Amino acid sequence: MNIGIINNGISNVGSVVSAFEFYRHTTELIDTGSRLKIPDILVLAGVGCFNVAAERLKQNGIWEALQEEVIVRRKPVLGICLGMQLFASIGYENGANPGLGWMPGKVIRIDDPAVRVPHMGWDEVSPAEQSLFNRIKSNCFYFMHSYHFVPDDPSVIAATTKYGKQELVAAVIKDNIVGAQFHPEKSQGDGMRFLFNVLERIV
Amino acid sequence: MKLKRIMPLFLLKGTRLVKGVRFRQFVDVGDPLSQAMIYDAQGADEIIIVDIEASQKGRLIDGDLISAIIRKTRLPIAAGGGIKTVEDGRACFRAGADKIVINTHAVCTPGLIRDLADEFGRQAVVVSIDVSCDGNAAYVPYIYSGSKSVSVPLEELLDSCIQHGAGEIVLTAINREGTLSGFENKLYAGVRDRISVPLIASGGCGCYDDMAGLFHSVDVDGCALGTMLSLRDYDIVRIKAYLTGEKILLRES
Repeated sequence: MNIGIINNGISNVGSVVSAFEFYRHTTELIDTGSRLKIPDILVLAGVGCFNVAAERLKQNGIWEALQEEVIVRRKPVLGICLGMQLFASIGYENGANPGLGWMPGKVIRIDDPAVRVPHMGWDEVSPAEQSLFNRIKSNCFYFMHSYHFVPDDPSVIAATTKYGKQELVAAVIKDNIVGAQFHPEKSQGDGMRFLFNVLERIV
Repeated sequence: MKLKRIMPLFLLKGTRLVKGVRFRQFVDVGDPLSQAMIYDAQGADEIIIVDIEASQKGRLIDGDLISAIIRKTRLPIAAGGGIKTVEDGRACFRAGADKIVINTHAVCTPGLIRDLADEFGRQAVVVSIDVSCDGNAAYVPYIYSGSKSVSVPLEELLDSCIQHGAGEIVLTAINREGTLSGFENKLYAGVRDRISVPLIASGGCGCYDDMAGLFHSVDVDGCALGTMLSLRDYDIVRIKAYLTGEKILLRES
């Protein structure tokens, strides 16, 4: 399979590349919208701020091309961390900024004075969509975020993780679109199995 | 975070792994790439990699080394050494760092923390602070790899770093570092409540009970290990097994 990894100029995509190459897939780094047609699946990876990442994707024409490929042509897409948050209709990191709007909902700061923010480190998730968590040993994944996605439609939630009093969204799925708030490419064996499951589920 | 992190801390001189005692008398302890692969396989929760000569020599941590490590491992890498601009930070992220670690330049230019946090998100900005605690005097922060003291009191410095956007604090007790004499528990106990972000204890760990004692006495989010892994017969699998037996919540190896 050919995996297109979208490079917004901030993100570290090397570990995503090597994770998919481990499963003998070919990967291609994508930095312009016109290249989005080629791969079988797209991966939107990333660190950075919501507003900065959205702006970068617009600058190089990826934003519009993503809408075409994912919504019109139904190409499978995986969003990781900030990549998943961009699925929302609006993000509130550094002001209110529109997201891709694939899953109506908002991205807001983790707001609980009893917990430390950022939510950083390994945490256990509770799967709601079992197909993404088959053969996984401990359901512990690496998280690194201060903002979290609150979808309007709870049926898209594929997993949650408890942080303080809140159940944060840890993964989402809707048709050809999957997102993980955690970093599967940084989550050792279970993270690799999650990526394997994603490909089985949506491709 | 309820699961404590066990984090190998790699000190580099260029592309070689070194280990010293109280930031001096460094000896070569091997190749960082092969060591990173070993600790990844053992179930380390994260690796911190810092080129300790970078700031003094006016260079940046080696990007090719970061790239090689992230392609051969599946765990988070926090990398630093010589980061003094947003562009330096970007170079580290492009090379594959998941977080960047700033020390000297965070203290000299607190605005740098804000600039980095605005660009990359505060979760990606780790501020590392080295302190020395001579006798009964207050803890004094140091920069340039422990060679220059800072006049700002530690508490004030920590508050400022967090206000400016630090997403995590690594606090190293210089006088413990490399001595295997245990963590400076009272240092962490003294500052824990004023730090709203994750706090990592570093310096001095020499045996299982040093970690158990630390985690039982202070709610730190993780601990860094150096000499104990590089120059003694310990591994992460056994460390986690022992600490689990001590009822400390960890991710299984």
